[in-house]
Amino acid sequence: MSELTHPLHRFIRPTVPHSTFCPGCGDGIVAQSILRAIDELGMDLDDFVFVSGIGCAAWIPSPLFNADVLHTTHGRPIAFAFGIKAGLPDKKVMVVSGDGDLVAIGGNHLIQNARRNADLTVLCINNGIYGMTGGQAAPTTPMGVRTTTTPYGTFENPFEDISAMVIAAGASFVARWTTAHPRELTRSIKKAIQRKGFSFIEVLSQCPVQFGRKAGLSGAVQMIEDYKKRSLLAREAGKLGPEERKGRIVVGELVEMDKPEMFEEVQKMKARAEGGVS
Amino acid sequence: MQIRIYPERCKGVEECGLCLHVCKKQVFKPSEGLNLRGYRPPEIENEKACTACENCMIFCPDFALVVGGKKGKRGGPA
Amino acid sequence: MNEKRVQSGRYFMMGNVACAEGAIAAGCEFAAGYPITPATEIANTLAERLPKVGGAFFQMEDEISSIAAVIGASWAGKKAMTATSGPGISLMLENIGFAIGVETPCVIVNVQRGAPSTGMPTIGIQGDMVQAKHGSHGDYQIIALCPSSPQEMFDHTVLAFNYAEKYRTPVFVLSDAFVGHMREEVTIPEADRIERVYRKIPAPGTDPLEIKGFLDEDVAPMPIFGQGFKAHVTSSCHDEVGKRNLIDISALDKFIRKLSNKILKHRDEITLVEKDYEGAEVVLVSYGAVARAARAAALRAREEGLPVGTLRLITPWPFPSEEIEKMARTAKQVIVLENNLGQMYPYIKAEAAPFSQVSFLPPRWVGEIHDPEHILTKIREVLR
Repeated sequence: MSELTHPLHRFIRPTVPHSTFCPGCGDGIVAQSILRAIDELGMDLDDFVFVSGIGCAAWIPSPLFNADVLHTTHGRPIAFAFGIKAGLPDKKVMVVSGDGDLVAIGGNHLIQNARRNADLTVLCINNGIYGMTGGQAAPTTPMGVRTTTTPYGTFENPFEDISAMVIAAGASFVARWTTAHPRELTRSIKKAIQRKGFSFIEVLSQCPVQFGRKAGLSGAVQMIEDYKKRSLLAREAGKLGPEERKGRIVVGELVEMDKPEMFEEVQKMKARAEGGVS
Repeated sequence: MQIRIYPERCKGVEECGLCLHVCKKQVFKPSEGLNLRGYRPPEIENEKACTACENCMIFCPDFALVVGGKKGKRGGPA
Repeated sequence: MNEKRVQSGRYFMMGNVACAEGAIAAGCEFAAGYPITPATEIANTLAERLPKVGGAFFQMEDEISSIAAVIGASWAGKKAMTATSGPGISLMLENIGFAIGVETPCVIVNVQRGAPSTGMPTIGIQGDMVQAKHGSHGDYQIIALCPSSPQEMFDHTVLAFNYAEKYRTPVFVLSDAFVGHMREEVTIPEADRIERVYRKIPAPGTDPLEIKGFLDEDVAPMPIFGQGFKAHVTSSCHDEVGKRNLIDISALDKFIRKLSNKILKHRDEITLVEKDYEGAEVVLVSYGAVARAARAAALRAREEGLPVGTLRLITPWPFPSEEIEKMARTAKQVIVLENNLGQMYPYIKAEAAPFSQVSFLPPRWVGEIHDPEHILTKIREVLR
């Protein structure tokens, strides 16, 4: 009788026996959700190029995924991904990185490429903290939270809604889920992979050590239960007033639209150039 | 229903514990011993109760659990 | 219309335009950049010409994303370049370090301008020479070329691409506003007379686990994306297979040394100088636009019977220490001419001082190419 094997182990780089995530870290759940999406689509990791920046979430594809992986400088994976897609238009280029990387230092690249509707899939793993460096406040850390750089509590207004900003910038597909919704996340990732255009998925993901423990939470289980409790499907959220929506996490596929995709427009531009039409 | 645990990948029921939490049927319990890295993996207590919901497999951050026997299983070589 | 990459012929051409033509002739397919005086003509020319030959120019949101996109395109297998000026290089330095660390061929043109800061955009100075070698953090070697004419803007850009591909490294073309904006005769040779190098890559179908794509002093084959090589390309310290190592000092030492030695070991093949100092007591050392003044001064000095020669650094980096020493052994006086406050000078002095008197001469005002008479005054002074 053949022994049961994990269907996604074959996607893991053979030289990587286990991940370096903290126990209970949501990044591992996201890693599985991504690989499950690829598996369910019947695709191969060689159909992809993964790009990540600096931070815990960036270690989802690097070195775990047995694929072409570019692990870049802080904040810039989307910019690198742009160049990769320009050079390999037939590959799916997926950026997986954290909120600090993509929205703080890398914010402009996120905004500009959403605007361009460049054909990229971008997963923003939002844990509300700078975890890798030991738990500093991020633009997503709620007001008043004590972190190593805000020992008296944060005094900045955090981002209320990263996805809303990306929608406003012009992305043609935007979804938000949490690590309490891995199956829905997989479904949205499959959609993002299969469509053309800038597809952005924000994933709220628990950091039980640098955020949780320091904020007095009891661990991954509690944090995921909290996500589950606070989550509100987008279509339900529309029925509630602003006071009722306070503190809730609106999840779901928030925007999906057709608009010109940048690299397709580049092809049209090249045709114009070759045809002598300016 | 078949469940396989990869104990050396596990990061412990105390520090993580997601599998025990997401299983609706109390299939798991903490094991007596620790793995080589000092974490306490889960152990199967009640395999017969498993409904192959796959929650444990899907929520495990460390790819340390696999559930078999579900019809229409995709994944792995066809 | 199927336009030719190589527009062979004789032209009266602006330096920046010649640079873009050189890139296209060398096989550049991807260019990204941001508008900046005095480099913008390079972007304009690439934007117009590249789409006609199957490539494209992308104006990015800033210089940081420009160099990032160039590096991404290079890993996608394309010959890629960017062009900017000092402020843009300053922004790019982190990613240039990344390109060096993961051994990415790419060409970076710096049309230097008045600095520091916003400075004087339309005036040329040679203010970013040391920046090219030491601007990014850490110890590393770099290759840089200094064109002194529009013709060399073409030739050196072709060479830059070839060096980049051969040694898997970013290569700087350090021009300035004068050379970039001047118009002069440029001859573009026939396509079959232009050497084009492409990086070594692993054989198709190679087992990914067998690939050693990094840290070979003789240049590892580049496991470009999209070929099934499953490359793990990381900004972190890594080993020959790209595996990250954040713990072992021996791994860090190897990372630093192998990357540097990759260039240093091949210094003799890379270094290019123009020598004209046979029998000279006084040697004028210069590069780029200033070399034009040096040559003019040397010719006039010889007409007066003064024993003056020139040494032009075409590749200021990797530092041509052997050539400097060789020259210094035969000369009595070395005068370093730069349009700055002395950037290559300390390196040249360190190498030459054991054998020769070494002095530095900026122009009367930094921002102008030396007046040959001003150089002659200095020559007469040191010969006294």
